[in-house]
Amino acid sequence: MQAPNNFQSSFTAHYLSEYAVTLEFGEEISEDLLQKISRFNTAIHQYPFSGFQTTVPGYATISVFFDPVLVIRSGLPGQDCFTKVADYLTGLQQRAIDQDVKSGSLVTIPVCYGNIYGPDLDEVARVNQLTALQVIELHSSAVYKVFMIGFVPGFAYLGGMNSALANPRKLSPRPAIAPGSVGIAGKQTGVYPLQTPGGWQIIGQTPLKMFAATRAQPSLLSAGDEVVFKPISASEFKQYNTRA
Amino acid sequence: MNPGLLSTVQDMGRRQYLSQAVPVSGAMDMASARIANIAVGNAGDEAVIEFTYAAATFTAETNILISYAGGGAVLKIDNHILLANRPVFIPAGNTVRLVNDSSGSRTYLAIAGGWNVPVVLGSRSTCLVAALGGYQGRALQVGDVLDSLDQLSPISKKIFDALKGEQINQPKWTIAPLPGTGTKTIRVVPGMEFTWFNAPSIVNFLSAPYQLSMRSNRMGYHLEGPLMQRYAAKELLSTAVVPGTIQVTGNGGLVLLMADCQTTGGYPRIAQVAAVDMPLCGQLKPGDAINFKEISRQEAEILYLEQEQYLHQLTYAVQSKF
Repeated sequence: MQAPNNFQSSFTAHYLSEYAVTLEFGEEISEDLLQKISRFNTAIHQYPFSGFQTTVPGYATISVFFDPVLVIRSGLPGQDCFTKVADYLTGLQQRAIDQDVKSGSLVTIPVCYGNIYGPDLDEVARVNQLTALQVIELHSSAVYKVFMIGFVPGFAYLGGMNSALANPRKLSPRPAIAPGSVGIAGKQTGVYPLQTPGGWQIIGQTPLKMFAATRAQPSLLSAGDEVVFKPISASEFKQYNTRA
Repeated sequence: MNPGLLSTVQDMGRRQYLSQAVPVSGAMDMASARIANIAVGNAGDEAVIEFTYAAATFTAETNILISYAGGGAVLKIDNHILLANRPVFIPAGNTVRLVNDSSGSRTYLAIAGGWNVPVVLGSRSTCLVAALGGYQGRALQVGDVLDSLDQLSPISKKIFDALKGEQINQPKWTIAPLPGTGTKTIRVVPGMEFTWFNAPSIVNFLSAPYQLSMRSNRMGYHLEGPLMQRYAAKELLSTAVVPGTIQVTGNGGLVLLMADCQTTGGYPRIAQVAAVDMPLCGQLKPGDAINFKEISRQEAEILYLEQEQYLHQLTYAVQSKF
């Protein structure tokens, strides 16, 4: 199902459904792929085709959604919607390469670590033979990269956690985790945007709303953003809450 | 309103926020939702109420023009059966009951003008996981009161005027159900990881019956049947999935994603259900057995475009009756 192309294509186009094409840029997690996908995302929004609707970036892919009724009526060359869209996107690559590297925003997320906000902080410290303070320091001194948003609304897949903090998931998931909870699972860290069940080790909580339907941009984070966690005290946490 | 098991307000869903992991939501059986809308003179994408099975009731507090389509229930006022797929005028004060019928699982109730709930993130659909959209971001509860938007289309006004009076009134015509309604053969296009599975698994997938387990809801259906075996223990990086994507979980079991599914997933995708057969899937209930049949992506696209054209023509057909 590879799209025909005249030059070295940096992706393979796959059929996802009648109304979506998935472009596969590689098979690994890397900042290089993230940057390629971010550039392509900017380019398709800047040069949309008739019927274009939206995109969904993945770790190594970007999926392009469209209205087949509008695409088939468009003047795009090709016998069917998949070919029309895949060929158009292949042609768009040069424009994507020409894009300035749009660096994502740097988002600071305040986190109250430990105690009722992070009931698993001590366990994460014990498993990794660290003190709780060292866990906080390691977790809040890294700069994390948002690779993609998925799982539940506003959930960011972050890369860049210090491997000294790696921790297995809890044996039995909690039935409800408070929104804003900051967790560790395996080599990943992340923030729960909504109250959901979950098996991650919870080391802290942010007072920020990671997802709010009332905002123009409901998700606080987008693919390509950089994130730092800033430790705050319980009283600072409460001040955020009264402001919100 | 007494909503029964699970009733939510849905429209055609929201795609604009998929990149922020907001599920598309929308009617599980889009075709029935659109037919119910078209029957009352709506454009097709207005908000409808999706009832799951029967046991629900609602009372008309004013004169209303409604219609219903789908499966799982027949609407009755006392012992008077209201016919599906056509408009019905109901004078104020009547209570409508949904009475169980075994033909499916979801019934769509449209009202002239569409149900009046706010547009949230571009859609009126209820997204239960994020508690947004629909009626206050939640499933309907006993005692909820919903109204319709004031602005009726010219054709809705004509239907209303033609049917209004002291009595329950329906026209003689009906919208025929879409071809294939009720069949249990689901057409699929091979998915991106189709070739990860060995030949016996593929043969099973395309020949054995699969049964909906009790673990089935608006997010997805767990299917019971032969397990899939993989050639290689390759890992898939999380990437976009859509309703109709059939994932293979760690133990080889199949999960068919439905309207409220996550926007991304990391399980290999063996197949993608043809969009025209998603309404059939939306009417399945636990215990139902289905078979998968392979078609090409070109066939799936042609079927989709044909169905869109057919639904478009229905709007004109209804207009021509008045």
